[in-house]
Amino acid sequence: MSELKTTSQEEREVILSASDLHVGYGSVLALHGVSLEIKKGELVSICGINGSGKTTIMRTLAGVLKPKSGKITFKGTDITGKKPEQVHKLGVALVPQGREIFPSLTVAENLRIGAFGCYKPAQYQKDLETMFELFPILKERYNQGGGLLSGGEQQMLAIARGLMSNPDLLMLDEPSLGLSPNRVDQIFELIEELKSRGMTILLVEQNAERAASISDRVYLLSNGRVEFSGKAEDMASAIDVASLYMGGKEEVK
Amino acid sequence: MAKNRIKNNHGISSKLSTPIMLSVILVLVGYFIWWLNIPFVQDIYTSAAITLVMVLGFQIFNGNSGILSWSYVGFVGIGAFSSAIFSMTPQMKSMQMPEMYPFLVNIHVPFVVALILGAIVAAIIAAVVAWPMMKISDDAGAITQFALLIVIHVILAQWSKVTNGPRTFTLGGQTLTTIWVAMISGVVVLFIAYFFKESSLGLKLRATRDDRYAACSSGIDMVKTRYLSYIFSAAIGGFAGGLYSHYILSINASAFYMTLLFNLLSMAVIGGKMSVSGAFFGTILLTLARQGLRQIEPVLTNMGVNASGSTEIIVAVLMIVFLVFRANGIMDRYELSPSSLKSLFSRKKKAEKKSA
Repeated sequence: MSELKTTSQEEREVILSASDLHVGYGSVLALHGVSLEIKKGELVSICGINGSGKTTIMRTLAGVLKPKSGKITFKGTDITGKKPEQVHKLGVALVPQGREIFPSLTVAENLRIGAFGCYKPAQYQKDLETMFELFPILKERYNQGGGLLSGGEQQMLAIARGLMSNPDLLMLDEPSLGLSPNRVDQIFELIEELKSRGMTILLVEQNAERAASISDRVYLLSNGRVEFSGKAEDMASAIDVASLYMGGKEEVK
Repeated sequence: MAKNRIKNNHGISSKLSTPIMLSVILVLVGYFIWWLNIPFVQDIYTSAAITLVMVLGFQIFNGNSGILSWSYVGFVGIGAFSSAIFSMTPQMKSMQMPEMYPFLVNIHVPFVVALILGAIVAAIIAAVVAWPMMKISDDAGAITQFALLIVIHVILAQWSKVTNGPRTFTLGGQTLTTIWVAMISGVVVLFIAYFFKESSLGLKLRATRDDRYAACSSGIDMVKTRYLSYIFSAAIGGFAGGLYSHYILSINASAFYMTLLFNLLSMAVIGGKMSVSGAFFGTILLTLARQGLRQIEPVLTNMGVNASGSTEIIVAVLMIVFLVFRANGIMDRYELSPSSLKSLFSRKKKAEKKSA
């Protein structure tokens, strides 16, 4: 792990790259040629206002949406147009927006689903222990229905479910959406903890400032195009773009 | 502590407790009714046990996938006709159904084999037609299911060389689905339905019911999951159809249409279609209610009130009341088990304490 930290970002292996993605719903294009790249062990954020195409990128990378053109490569394999379950098997876990857990299933069953496709009993027990360590609440609620958890707990369950497949890339789609400030802090702490454990994370956030503060690199999205990409520190110099599209001059300053 | 809890949940004893408890109820009641030796009551029990098998087969797909599978009763019909064709003697068939294809007339296998073959025929037909339908969800899914039911119904009602067409198909001979056969089938299918629900296929299916996008991004192949489950459900339906035809002894296509569908649906909805226990208690409750109401109907008619058909109305109203006030039925998603009984008990105690 310490080695990972000392190697400069440029030397790290590129785990996922997408080039010139055009994605649409029906005849309406939501992404107009988006390219991005994630290196192993990096925490990359995609920021932008509602409707800028953040969720569309996530869904496309996970295989839920098929791009009209463009190419996605994951760990050297072309995954463009592959089905979500195939992409998942290769090691991409998407935690969808809006805490999409399975409410009628118990916490235990939700976690079991996360491990489908890569189930090994010994590994499963070990992963469960890790999840209980990261999310003690899940241990307490293990046999309860997922729908009975609070919003923050459901988000934790959703992330834990994503982690149960031991993914090479964890994609979190607005994990802080609709949570109380306390819970948001908890979620961001957790993301940092996962990063320190060497997890590669792609984070989508509306809260650009907050996301940038913990990310290695940021992509700023507007109307389906990448307006800014680069180190979080450099985003300050691109403040015009940010304030223009984030609509919160004071906040960004 | 954590380890214990994980193990408990996956332990065999806790997994088995639900089907064992339900089976014990089914067998004890059945034994008592057999001992009472009142033919009328035995008939009610036998037909209730057959209906239970039908409802469980319905629950396997409908309850776990959330798709209203109208076509299910069509597969019950397919199983009913095909198992009857398999089990009847050639003489009987040529006497009752002179139009039947000669190769069908010559088939003759023992009753149990015929039941299994009936299930297999239903499964094969489901396997042939179901794949494209499994891609469709929600309203469109229910409508395609309905369309398939109409197709199956018309074929069953018109194919004279197989089903005797619109005329009644008479099996003849004696009732092969005795009270014991119905009871044992009920027990076996209770275990099957429960293990299906807990199996990885059942869990995947329940995940697609809750949220199909989240299920897909968790690596679940929704169409394949639904497809396999639908075939399995059709097989149980076909088996139940075989039990039914060998109990009632004369069938026609209209027996496997809207009335039966409504009957099964009301049981699943009122009991709670997300759980096997719900299907069980829904069947018992609705059977008792229907039988009770049926006894009252002639009494009312004698008193000068024209009450014919009131049973159906009352059952339909009951279903509406449940959908409004307890949409997930009596059992919701819970199963009968020692721990659920315990928590129910402690909740009641707490409530008593509060009121005191």
